[in-house]
Amino acid sequence: MVNTDERNAEGVKMNTKNLKIDKTHKWNRVVKKYYIYAVLLLIVIVFSVMKLDEVTFFGRGHFLSPASITNLLRSAVPILTLSGAFTLLMISGNIDLSVGSAMSLNAVVYSLMILNGFSMGIAFILTLILGIFCGFINGYIVQKLRITPVIATLVTLNLFKGVALLIVPNGVSAIKGTADKVMPIWINDYARKKVLLGLPTAFYVAILVIVLLIITQRKTILGKYAVAVGGNRTAAELSGINARQVAWLLYILVGFMAALAGIARASYMSTGNPLSGDGMELDNIIAVLLGGTAFAGGEGSVAKTMVGALIIMCVTTGLMTVIPPYWQSVAKGTVLVIAVVLNKMLIKTGVEA
Amino acid sequence: MGTKTRLLKRADSSMSNESFISLFMISVLVILFGIACAIVPNFYLPMNMLNLIMNYWYIIILGIGVTFLLVTGNFDMSVGGVIAMTGVLSVYFSQSAVVLKNPLAVGLGLPYGVAVGLALLCALAVGAVNAFFIVKLKVPSIIVTLGTMMLARGVGQVVTLGAQRNTSLPDIFGVIGNASIPGTPIKVSVLIMVGLLIIAVVIEKTTIFGRRTYLIGANREAARLSGIRVERHLTTLFLTSALLAGITGILMASEFKAGISNRATGFEFDALVICLLGGTNINGGFGSVLGTVVGALVLGVVTSAATGMVLSPDWQFFLKGTVTFLAILAQRYALDRRKG
Repeated sequence: MVNTDERNAEGVKMNTKNLKIDKTHKWNRVVKKYYIYAVLLLIVIVFSVMKLDEVTFFGRGHFLSPASITNLLRSAVPILTLSGAFTLLMISGNIDLSVGSAMSLNAVVYSLMILNGFSMGIAFILTLILGIFCGFINGYIVQKLRITPVIATLVTLNLFKGVALLIVPNGVSAIKGTADKVMPIWINDYARKKVLLGLPTAFYVAILVIVLLIITQRKTILGKYAVAVGGNRTAAELSGINARQVAWLLYILVGFMAALAGIARASYMSTGNPLSGDGMELDNIIAVLLGGTAFAGGEGSVAKTMVGALIIMCVTTGLMTVIPPYWQSVAKGTVLVIAVVLNKMLIKTGVEA
Repeated sequence: MGTKTRLLKRADSSMSNESFISLFMISVLVILFGIACAIVPNFYLPMNMLNLIMNYWYIIILGIGVTFLLVTGNFDMSVGGVIAMTGVLSVYFSQSAVVLKNPLAVGLGLPYGVAVGLALLCALAVGAVNAFFIVKLKVPSIIVTLGTMMLARGVGQVVTLGAQRNTSLPDIFGVIGNASIPGTPIKVSVLIMVGLLIIAVVIEKTTIFGRRTYLIGANREAARLSGIRVERHLTTLFLTSALLAGITGILMASEFKAGISNRATGFEFDALVICLLGGTNINGGFGSVLGTVVGALVLGVVTSAATGMVLSPDWQFFLKGTVTFLAILAQRYALDRRKG
């Protein structure tokens, strides 16, 4: 909202000054709108050409084979579920570095409940409540106690991780079936069993979440308020928006989605690994920045973040087939740096250090 | 005029926020130490306390660079990655160049001094990348340094093929990290830490450079307008932080005589934690290196008390998180109280 106004004002200024500048400005806007799709296309093309000598296009084992695409989408479920809410949070000028830990914690708790004979529905609901609670804590620390988001969520990152590690019994690396307790086979139902087009329920839930969040961002008051709070918090507060409540609500939303993603991860791997969510916060930040959301808030799009998330999944799973796994860190770091530079080039508004 | 004199009087009678917070944290340290002595048997033995300080040399070295950066309002999360990378590279550079079957045993065969120099240069390069993106392009430091953390660790993983390098090293490699002062158990690393600490305190308390650091943190724009070259200053600080991390990496690699790519995981958080525990403000403006040492001691007391109570290492994350949280909260509360 705020940014559109700014942009319009800028455009008017340039119109009166010089027509040429206005044209480059327009072109910039076109680039800004569509570059992310071009990047995704480019990455897909590169990876499909890389393995061309071994197999035919769309054939077995090829990057674009149906099996490989469903596999990619299936492993993308957690980040697709999570990054939409993360985008909204970042639009409002906040950040949550604890999403990875919250996800692991929820995965551990969910699989522990399933292992101990809870029915799926109850375990599901209780885990989601735990997720909401995690988000509530983050929101409380940031909004009520007024501690900088980065520090506050860095602390909860360690807290959630610590709790997850403490829940897992000594001497075992993850919650899984033991000699006397067997993990029910139906734990896989949610995120592994093929429902439609070879994809599991979790994927369709993620799609539903994305659609809802896109609508939330574009059509509802919450989306507008997030932009207003992120653009200029004081102005938003002065115009009657309860900035604290908006941001708190978004933290809770992120916590909820982290729980949903954690359930999907636990159900997919049929174990509750306390380290399974590690690095999720970085993946999310990369996706959000690639999607053109301003780091300081005030501008962004959920839909484009999804494209950004797909780009990361393409890079990680695509690279796995081409180069050894120990290159992953370098690859992800490079993508992050590229995302930062692209973001910087396309968003001209200054960002505070 | 009445209010003015009252304000002046108040400023005279009360100490600065900085020393208030320092005193506050020292009292927290004393209280924690008392509790630990009461709960854990034999905690008060001098040997224990000496160990406490000596086991935390690496975090204190890192803390110096991170404190200076935090005072200016910037984060450096890449230190852990830089430690891993420098350690691995120093091993790789000094491994003998004789071709063997095992690719992890073949290095560049450089003399140890050259290897260390090159590894430190690589650490400086990471610092330069940080500085470029943060200072020139004005990207938030947390994002950039998280990225370079991954990059640096990734370089370490690529060089060690995801494992570790520990064979065909010259004997001199393991000397500096394991040597101790004759007749005492104090390691050379601890001496280096103390030396760096003294230099840092002198720079912070007595030089123009130190004052400028605070000024930038308090108000960057005002600092720029009053003629401080902010960009150059911040670049220097990022380079220093990376260099300190590099030195730590080399010492640690030498101690273990191995280059391990997942060494120093989470050290960036520890370094940040001790700065915050020592009273450095999250938003920049004030803080001190000596405060960071106090913070390191607080963390040391907490973790070694946990070890003494035979808690599983899983408790560490939880304890660190809780202690940091309480420290930040206490700071906030105390400062609010003083203002109100």
